[in-house]
Amino acid sequence: MFFQQLINGLTTGSVYALIALGYTMIYGILGLINFAQGEIYMCGAFVAVLLLATGKVNFFLAVALGMGAAALLGVILERVAFRPLRGFHPLVPLISAIGASIFLQSLALLLFGPNDRPFPIQFAFTTIMIAGLPVSTLQMTILAAALGFMGLLIVFVRYTTYGKAIVACALDRDTARLMGINVDRMVSLTFLLGSALSGAAGIMMAIYYNATYPRMGLLPGLKAFSAAILGGVGSIPGAILGGLLLGVAESLGAAYISSGFKDAIAFAILILVLLLRPQGILRGRGD
Amino acid sequence: MTAYVLHLAILAGIYIILTVSINLIIGYAGQVSLGHAAFYGIGAYASALMSLHYHFPFPAAALTAMLAAGLCGLALGLPTLRLKEDYLAIVTLGFGVIVDLVFLNLEITGGPDGLPGIPPPSFLGLNFREPWHYLILVIVTVILVLIATYRLVDSYHGRALRAIRDHEITAQVMGINTPAYKVVVFTLAAVLAGLAGSLYAHYITFINPETFGLHTSILILTMVVLGGMGSIAGSVLGAVILTILPEMLRQAHAYQELIYGGLLMLLLIWRPAGLLGRGKLSLKFLKRES
Repeated sequence: MFFQQLINGLTTGSVYALIALGYTMIYGILGLINFAQGEIYMCGAFVAVLLLATGKVNFFLAVALGMGAAALLGVILERVAFRPLRGFHPLVPLISAIGASIFLQSLALLLFGPNDRPFPIQFAFTTIMIAGLPVSTLQMTILAAALGFMGLLIVFVRYTTYGKAIVACALDRDTARLMGINVDRMVSLTFLLGSALSGAAGIMMAIYYNATYPRMGLLPGLKAFSAAILGGVGSIPGAILGGLLLGVAESLGAAYISSGFKDAIAFAILILVLLLRPQGILRGRGD
Repeated sequence: MTAYVLHLAILAGIYIILTVSINLIIGYAGQVSLGHAAFYGIGAYASALMSLHYHFPFPAAALTAMLAAGLCGLALGLPTLRLKEDYLAIVTLGFGVIVDLVFLNLEITGGPDGLPGIPPPSFLGLNFREPWHYLILVIVTVILVLIATYRLVDSYHGRALRAIRDHEITAQVMGINTPAYKVVVFTLAAVLAGLAGSLYAHYITFINPETFGLHTSILILTMVVLGGMGSIAGSVLGAVILTILPEMLRQAHAYQELIYGGLLMLLLIWRPAGLLGRGKLSLKFLKRES
């Protein structure tokens, strides 16, 4: 029972971590919360599911296109809702992003209707025994894929020129510009990467819960934000750690405290973190 | 038909209180709250429970509502208002979700079925069962709230708040206790939202969690942005327009949220000062640095 809950928590937690990476990178470079991150996650899931439902697209291509659509949406969103408002009071872009989030959610509701869509293809996942403990291969696959994406992101940020340029912009935008870095392009790239990861997260959850619907991004988006704060906003390892911890806490809390309040656990943790250690576990840029 | 107009007028009055109160947080303290409907709900439930179980007269029930919402506002504001404005947005959003879950899961709040049979107010020998009597009660309350708000924002404290909004560090250097101001104004806004909740509960006489969800918080936010952040007259106008507009566009009901979301984005991009916030002051505060 405990072990099972732990695995459940790690699975959802790894998905929260993927979304939290988007929040944390965008916060790192612009100092803003992208409120519509949950809708980008929803967009990735919808594009993949709709493509697969046509029956003509192979699974990996559908995933790639879903992530691509999410990335594109992220870049467009930055252009429309954030860039014109740079230099304004910080609450202006914040409210604009809230507007974008509501807009995308209700647009999806109009286009696709409120009902859950099952994932169009079936996988042959089973439960296997590892060291005497039952493990679902679906959960293992999601966990492995999420960790793989995180590994790729870390390698990109640490070892490539573009990755280093993003870090430079996050550290000091003006100095980065003086060093010849095209800051606007790096901001777009950050949105592209963060949104692609959120899109991948959306597809994973669409498979895991076998449901895709317009409001699916709301709670995971909020929880992922709590995860980013928990780990230390602006820190990439922090977002991963925060996501996994939050997933486990939520799963154990639902099992041992009360399942009716499952969705409240993340916010209770968020408020506690802000109260006791606002900079997060790994010191982020939040103050 | 007249009954319907009266109904809209009463709702508009309740929304004016909500919009003016959240404008104190957004337009004067420069913070964003996305959980304002939660305080509205706390007020409504507190007031309804007091009249249903303890037969409190309306003024006492309304005071309890204001107290309950204010205490929750204080408890939420104390830890979060020390931080940057975007944290408050998320925390209040999370708070809204928690409060919604509490209303849904507790036995005393009636769960998803809500609380029926809330008595309409009657006090001082007056009975507010008739809609137009209730409208008078709402109008008097709105006027009192508006007078209090104008007095506040034109006072020393109002200037201190605007200083915090425009430049927090400078305000601090001038000797303004910025965290205390933010907490007080946040609590005050929660108190007013609680009052609006009480007015709503005793008017509709039935409440359930649906009324106090995220979409209501977003609606109130849109009203403020439409009217102009930092403009009280704008808040009144925004509340009235967005109470009446959806009724006129009944066929477009499905598009309501789409319109609100699009409106928020477009307004901020093309007219960040809102309809009435054209004054020098509001624009200056929005276009702070660059």
